[in-house]
Amino acid sequence: MRNDRELPAPPPVAGRVLDADLELLDRQILDPDGVPISAVDDLELSTPADLARLDPQHPPVVQALLTGPILMTRIFGGRLPESRFIRIPWSIVTRVGTVVSVGAAADSLDASWTERWMRDHVISRIPGGRHDPE
Amino acid sequence: MKGIFAVALGVLTAIGGFVDIGDLVTSSLVGSRFGLTLGWVLIVGAVGICLFAQMSGRVAAVSGRATFEIIRERLGARMALANLSASFLINLLTLAAEVGGIALSLQLASSIEPALWFPVAAIALWIVIWRVKFSILENVTGLLGLALLVFAVTVFFLHPDWSALGSQFLLQPSPHSNEAPATYWYYAIGLFGSSMTPYEVFFYSSGAIEEKWTPKDLKQSRLNVLVGFPLGAILSLSIVACSAIVLLPKGIGVASLFETALPVAQAFGKIGLIIAILGFVAVTFGAALEVTLSSGYALSQFFGWPWGKFRRPAAASRFHVVMILSLLAAIGILFTGVDPVQLTEFSVVFSAIALPLTYLPILIVANDPGYMGDQVNGKVTNFFGLVFLGIVLLASIAAIPLMIISGAGA
Repeated sequence: MRNDRELPAPPPVAGRVLDADLELLDRQILDPDGVPISAVDDLELSTPADLARLDPQHPPVVQALLTGPILMTRIFGGRLPESRFIRIPWSIVTRVGTVVSVGAAADSLDASWTERWMRDHVISRIPGGRHDPE
Repeated sequence: MKGIFAVALGVLTAIGGFVDIGDLVTSSLVGSRFGLTLGWVLIVGAVGICLFAQMSGRVAAVSGRATFEIIRERLGARMALANLSASFLINLLTLAAEVGGIALSLQLASSIEPALWFPVAAIALWIVIWRVKFSILENVTGLLGLALLVFAVTVFFLHPDWSALGSQFLLQPSPHSNEAPATYWYYAIGLFGSSMTPYEVFFYSSGAIEEKWTPKDLKQSRLNVLVGFPLGAILSLSIVACSAIVLLPKGIGVASLFETALPVAQAFGKIGLIIAILGFVAVTFGAALEVTLSSGYALSQFFGWPWGKFRRPAAASRFHVVMILSLLAAIGILFTGVDPVQLTEFSVVFSAIALPLTYLPILIVANDPGYMGDQVNGKVTNFFGLVFLGIVLLASIAAIPLMIISGAGA
């Protein structure tokens, strides 16, 4: 007799089942042109009404992929004020495979602001920075 | 005809690109102190780098993911950050050693103080990284590095006592050498670290993506690695042999690249020396490019930034900023007045310590059908992969104790 008979059956779900820790966290995020945006540094989940007893009918859902300074608090602990979260909303995610694809261009997202800042303030000002290598 | 040319080019590049400042210094140093009795380490190291470079290239070509992305996905952010910190610091040490190597080689040619060459070398490296295409920078330095073949020719030209060399290679110590066992094993690890440095794997797997490899290109890459790297190891072995023949009997220690080149100078005089110096400059410059790129690759891949020479600098801005800062840091390290040769010795030992961190995730992912489809590792590859992981782990654990016992090989 196996023990798992006594556990309640998991709720039926449509589509693929993902292990968020294994298949979402730390994966590369790409835009539709294959430009890297960031890695998935953390996930933002909806907060259930009662944290002690989760309602199986309304489980918490992933609302956004988080990037940026949140990585450091995930690794070293501590709490980041919500104003410093950099979100990529789950609604623009188009595919989850070995990489996470989103449907918006990298340059249109807050997640790559440091890339743009470095480009505009440092790299573009050095001669040759905007040309293909020869 | 074009096919044959491409194959030859790939193989020749792999030979010339195999050797770097770590190999130059460690090989001649080991030859001058232990003769050929550590030659077996080079063979073990060559088999190991062939196996793992090829594996990382295959993972990159099939899954499109480079090594550090994989390290983070598989080990998790925390372990990967620890790994990144270690690898990045060792990369900086190696970069400083390579830039120091360029300066020492140019000093041999010009008698101008190495300190004056550091900034010149770093600026030249930056310009190449900023403006030159990936395939050109890889091929030119690799081909010029073939000048080091002069060491292989020198071995024959010196008419050595072949039976004495042979018996050293079969672990009969030379009568001129009396070193403690701890020192012997310390240098064994150094030599092992110099032939399996982690940056080679970062560079190889990222290079596969730079050159847009598909599974079709794997046959070519296998040939490059399986022919080129062992021939590169023979180049290292011939440097060991040269030192064993000329330096060991006279008790000359290796304190700079001058002693490394001495056997060639003895055999061929000025012309030989010029060829050797050309080889030194080419391989250290080539390796410095690879290490600089690797530091950019590792950091960008960990954070998921755009990277690669196939993009314009403006489209991979953080990648280029990291490389500029790395070069500045390397010059900073060198201007503390540290001896580049000693820096090299330390960098190869620390490379050996960090090796398992890089090789384990590659082995795991090469077995993951989610990434590799039906191209996962075969049983034979896995067997050798595990054997080498064991060796690498052993070397990594033993390195620090041996360093303390032997007084860092003093």
